[in-house]
Amino acid sequence: MKPDGITSLRGIQAALADALVPELSSAYAQDAAQTLTMLIESLVAGWDTAAEDLVSGNREVRRLLAEAVAVFSLPAAGNEPAAALVKLCEDAIAVPPVASLRISELTAESESLRAALEKVLVALEDIAAGSADVPAMALRWSIYAHLRGAAGAGWSFWDVASFRERMVRLKSEHKR
Amino acid sequence: MGFSPAPLGAGDGVKSNEGPVAQGQSGRLITGWFQVRILAGPPTPPPMTTLESRIEAYLRAKLPAASEIVVANLQRIPGGASRETWSFDVTRRENGAAVKEGLIIRRDPDASVLETDRDHEFRVVQAVYGAVPVPRTYWIETDGAALDRPFFVMGRIDGCEANPTRVLMDPRYFPSRERIACEFTDILARIHAIDPASSGLEFLDGPADAGGCGLAEVEKWEAVIDHDSLEPQPVLRGAFRWLRHHLPPPAQRIALVHADYRTGNFLAAPDGEIKGILDWEMAHLGDPMEDVAWACIRPWRWLGNELIGGLMERSEFYRMYEKFSGLKVDEDAVRFWELLGNIKLAAIFITGARSFTDGRTRSPLMAFLGRNVNRLELEIMDLLEAGV
Repeated sequence: MKPDGITSLRGIQAALADALVPELSSAYAQDAAQTLTMLIESLVAGWDTAAEDLVSGNREVRRLLAEAVAVFSLPAAGNEPAAALVKLCEDAIAVPPVASLRISELTAESESLRAALEKVLVALEDIAAGSADVPAMALRWSIYAHLRGAAGAGWSFWDVASFRERMVRLKSEHKR
Repeated sequence: MGFSPAPLGAGDGVKSNEGPVAQGQSGRLITGWFQVRILAGPPTPPPMTTLESRIEAYLRAKLPAASEIVVANLQRIPGGASRETWSFDVTRRENGAAVKEGLIIRRDPDASVLETDRDHEFRVVQAVYGAVPVPRTYWIETDGAALDRPFFVMGRIDGCEANPTRVLMDPRYFPSRERIACEFTDILARIHAIDPASSGLEFLDGPADAGGCGLAEVEKWEAVIDHDSLEPQPVLRGAFRWLRHHLPPPAQRIALVHADYRTGNFLAAPDGEIKGILDWEMAHLGDPMEDVAWACIRPWRWLGNELIGGLMERSEFYRMYEKFSGLKVDEDAVRFWELLGNIKLAAIFITGARSFTDGRTRSPLMAFLGRNVNRLELEIMDLLEAGV
């Protein structure tokens, strides 16, 4: 089998460490090499699951936008901005999921859906500041739960530094 | 037969007749016998020796009374994502005596995580010199005549470390951590005690009144996201909205705010003395609690636990700050500023990523930082969940 993407990226990291870094005399060049190694590590972390993550993420955002349609259609939220938001969400989810597994197409779909989600979250923060609308607050936390999953995914240099204990807690939360 | 590396991307390799040379600004890197498509970007920098001789020429113009000026040991310093930092030694003969000193050049980058005015930073450092430890400033050049881009020159502070890994993990620094924590807090209080009006700092941006500090910074950083974001930002937009609904109480005093005061931006000697506070490019007038909170945000807790700046417990930081400054640490205000601090750092990373994507820089650091915004989002949501 030929070296796949991850194996090749690991090979680049190894070449950086074995062949290049020992030859670098300046601290600046060594720092740049370290940055490259970490950049590659973050690419490796998302390489295999990139399409799956986008497909499942898009599916979840569609579900949240559908929930938003229900919440903002309730009489309590019935006003002009809510109606505009309902229309925005309906339009976003009316576009069928892309059939392709190309990362660029899935990313474009993700951005379109997340643009609608952004507007929903801003509206929910307005509601949260003024009342204790139960369905709206439940939706708010569902959205944050989804975004939290995305924010904790992959690899970051913070994970071995400032966020080390935080990421350990996150992993134990996932296990539960 | 020699082996030439294959192109990095399938289908991108084009046989070249140019031979094994390398160049860097055309969107193609010729490596071996292949051309590999690369990101468009700024011209490849000139060799170090050229820069050294140009600095010598510059210093000859600035120091007409000196002779035998020699620049040596020119090195680019890692870090400093907003401005290039170059260190060098200069020897010269002046009034019959040999003089040797270390200097630093802070030069505008091809692109940056921050679009800041070097004149602003230079004037602030000049104004606070003597009140708090900062490098001595020498000259500023606002055009690119001497070194292609604007820059300023300041003194180098030797025998110190800024790198948080070394300050916090080098055994030489272990015995002095308590002193570093104490000086870190004391100097912050001294920055906040500087009177902007009598120190020549009135040119700095600031809110109209003490009640407007929070909103002014929210608007500033939301504008950065508006301008630079490459994709929807639900977490940041939601958090901005939350902040607008939960503005902090009026500042106890409108003070000079360093705005990047943290472990990593001071020069500490192994005995714990802090000899220089760095990176003043975001300084402005505002609420001192903004600095207190920025020092507290998780990204600067380098040891991965809850110690503020990797140096001390939060309660100890607050206690010392109150003692040194005479101000009360308003925990509600700090929570607001801590949330905004994480958003601000995300905005800075997003600006860097934008520079990379737009081809204004090829710095891998900019791409790398842009790929780390998600952990800041995690922290932002943690703070929101905690009710901030």
